[in-house]
Amino acid sequence: MKGKKLKSGDIENALNKFLKDGQHLLLGFKKDENGVSHQIFKGSLDHHSLVNPVFGANAALYLRRLFSKGLKVMLMLRPCEIRAYVELHKLTQVEREDIIAVSIDCFGTVSSKEKKDDVPAEAGKLTEYFKDKGSMRWACSVCRERRGVVGDAGVRIDKSGNFWMVPYTERGEELVSGMEGELEEIPAEMLIPESPKTEKFQIDMETFNKDLEKCIMCMNCRDMCPVCYCIDCVFNGDEYLPKGDALLNKVFRTGSMQMPRGKDLFHLIRMYHVSQTCVGCGACEEACPQGIPLTKYFKGVSERLQGVFSYMSGRSFDEPIPYVTFLEDELKDAMD
Amino acid sequence: MAEETSKKNPEIVGFCCSYCTFKASEMAGSLRMKYPEGVKVIEVPCSSRVDPAFIIKAIVEGADGVFVSGCHPGDCHFIKGNFYTRRKIAALKEMFDALSMKDRLRLFWVSASEARRFIDKVTSFYNYIKEKNDEREKA
Repeated sequence: MKGKKLKSGDIENALNKFLKDGQHLLLGFKKDENGVSHQIFKGSLDHHSLVNPVFGANAALYLRRLFSKGLKVMLMLRPCEIRAYVELHKLTQVEREDIIAVSIDCFGTVSSKEKKDDVPAEAGKLTEYFKDKGSMRWACSVCRERRGVVGDAGVRIDKSGNFWMVPYTERGEELVSGMEGELEEIPAEMLIPESPKTEKFQIDMETFNKDLEKCIMCMNCRDMCPVCYCIDCVFNGDEYLPKGDALLNKVFRTGSMQMPRGKDLFHLIRMYHVSQTCVGCGACEEACPQGIPLTKYFKGVSERLQGVFSYMSGRSFDEPIPYVTFLEDELKDAMD
Repeated sequence: MAEETSKKNPEIVGFCCSYCTFKASEMAGSLRMKYPEGVKVIEVPCSSRVDPAFIIKAIVEGADGVFVSGCHPGDCHFIKGNFYTRRKIAALKEMFDALSMKDRLRLFWVSASEARRFIDKVTSFYNYIKEKNDEREKA
């Protein structure tokens, strides 16, 4: 694979050149004295940061129903955010036409809930900081893809700390060709290695119910999930989670019930609905006010379900989501 | 809800496609064949109409087992509906497997003329669930 070795300032120059056009926008990270946060840049770069060591929300959330006709938007985000964007594109929630997605090697993140002041925001120091996997979020420590190998182009970091810009699609090549330097073979080993395979997820309903004991059904996990995109969610009506009179009717029909009801129903159905598109970013757990270990379930189950069809969410633009396609001769052991 | 009777006799919800399996169940009725009363058959236009949310809801709300049944692959009235069903249910089974309750869901194909096969499949599923429940009660 070929890419361009970047000198310091190359990325900033290229992005500033890109932003000179009034119709161009950049979604990336901003670093100031209060820390690092998401920012849409217009006009010029101001306090831009390539890496963000704090995870609050998945930025693909802001891309839902983005049909930017005539604009050009560049994304400079973490791999999990770019993967969620790819999935949203497959679900026809984002128009790919005017978007250039650049994924950046991710070192792992800390939770925004337990934000520490000593977290550095420079690529070099982060490796040292996250050497002990316990210091990062659980979702990041078991991440499936921390390398910037998804989207139109990627920013990779090699072992000696040099930045590389690697194009993956035509659009990425266009972006890279506008930068200085010559295309050369990228080193085989980068700073961020391929993620190891995790164990098959296995749990029982008792543990599941115990973990969900604290759930208050605020549905923040649904609202903050980047790929849980339905406007008319099945849980908004009275069918799955009756409210008011419908709830009382149900009590009269079936007997006394514990409140809030439908915790297991809500989480199991959501778990299935996002199973093929879940990128395991952990935004649900981040949004949970009760601290329920949701990533464990959503990531574990989605990884198993994607494994059935040898699919990986957000890996490429061309793979269709397994539920909307089929092979005639497959899954021989699915029926009893 | 009568707790004791439901414990002795499992409740099974079946989603049957109206062109094949539901016709087979009607044929079984007209031939005076018997299947357990606990089996509640729900008619759906095609087996791919079954959103796995229906199955999860049925199980969470108290069904002991759920089966989805449709035409044999390739025989779907809507040409390719049951290929999608197969993918969806295979995934759902994997999810139930992860949560250690795989045996509560079954998928099988029964065509309109196979009344005998329908009875066999349903009865064996019913007996299996009943055995499991008895075992759990003992333990």
